[in-house]
Amino acid sequence: MKIQSNKIIILLLCIILGFFTAIQTKNVQGDYDFVDLRTIMDLKNLIKKEREELSSISELIMSNKNRLLEYEITISKGGSIRDVLVKEHDQFKAISGFMDLEGPGIIVWLRDSDRELYEWEDPNNVIVHDLDVLIVVNDLKTAGAEAISINGQRIMGTSEIQCAGATITVNNHTYGQPFIIKAIGDPNTLSAAIKSPESYASLLKDFYGLGLEVEVYENIEIPKFNGDISWKYLTPKEGE
Amino acid sequence: MIIAILGLLIGIFLGLKLNITYPAKYALYISVAILASLDSVFGAIRSSLEGRFNTEIFVSGFFTNAILAGFLAYIGDRLGVPLYYAAIFAFGGRLFQNFASIRRHLLEKFRSRVATRQGE
Repeated sequence: MKIQSNKIIILLLCIILGFFTAIQTKNVQGDYDFVDLRTIMDLKNLIKKEREELSSISELIMSNKNRLLEYEITISKGGSIRDVLVKEHDQFKAISGFMDLEGPGIIVWLRDSDRELYEWEDPNNVIVHDLDVLIVVNDLKTAGAEAISINGQRIMGTSEIQCAGATITVNNHTYGQPFIIKAIGDPNTLSAAIKSPESYASLLKDFYGLGLEVEVYENIEIPKFNGDISWKYLTPKEGE
Repeated sequence: MIIAILGLLIGIFLGLKLNITYPAKYALYISVAILASLDSVFGAIRSSLEGRFNTEIFVSGFFTNAILAGFLAYIGDRLGVPLYYAAIFAFGGRLFQNFASIRRHLLEKFRSRVATRQGE
């Protein structure tokens, strides 16, 4: 009887083994390749990226369709396509900095500190540096500023904020302190971005003792960029 | 031994007949588990030939080896180290050892049978 039950158990386990082997061979079917989790992850990321690209392309198509629709509507209303193009042109000029702008916003004054230096203290601590201005401008951009100027120089895509001794060069014009930064945007968010205790500007004011003032205005004016830009390396891509 | 082969045949027949599928990503774990169970079966045949077969050892070894091997492959996959090699080498090596001793036992049996025939 003992031997008999042993045989039954062996039979059962062998059936299980054969069963799984058969299923496995059926499932694998020759083209089995070991794929580890990392490869799967990479492929997933690839798919995700492609999908994002696809969605952005379809967004582009949608916006172009909308624009086309706008043209058609103006034409059907009896207007000329010229009006639409002029409007669009003005919009681009406003965005890129070739147009005088106005709107609600804030003005930030940044001054060197007038406190006495501690003994052996580095005088650099009480001077406004190009980096300080750069970071404040970046904070304003983060807070949704739509147009920014420094001492009347409109900040554009190519504008530099460059150290020039005790002065700062912006758009090839050099200015000494105080630096007057104007920003058009939601005044509350903009002033919060400067005044909030964690902001870089508060650090400058409270830790280094630099002069920092923020005023909110109903209407501030930002002049257009009045230099000229020449291109040397740039050519528009074909088909755009 | 005959019972084992019979069981294998029934199992393969069932597996081919029944239409069961699972995700392809488990294929590696299952194949390593199959290797482990195959080793257990060979070990069982060997021990039965040696006359010290133990059902509990066989059954527990069959399942725990298979589970451990599959689990090792999974953990290795998670860690990025091909740990399933450990299972393949261990069980594959033992498989051949078991097979070698089975072969030796069978040959001895055969030889002794021939000797008794000649003795008659």
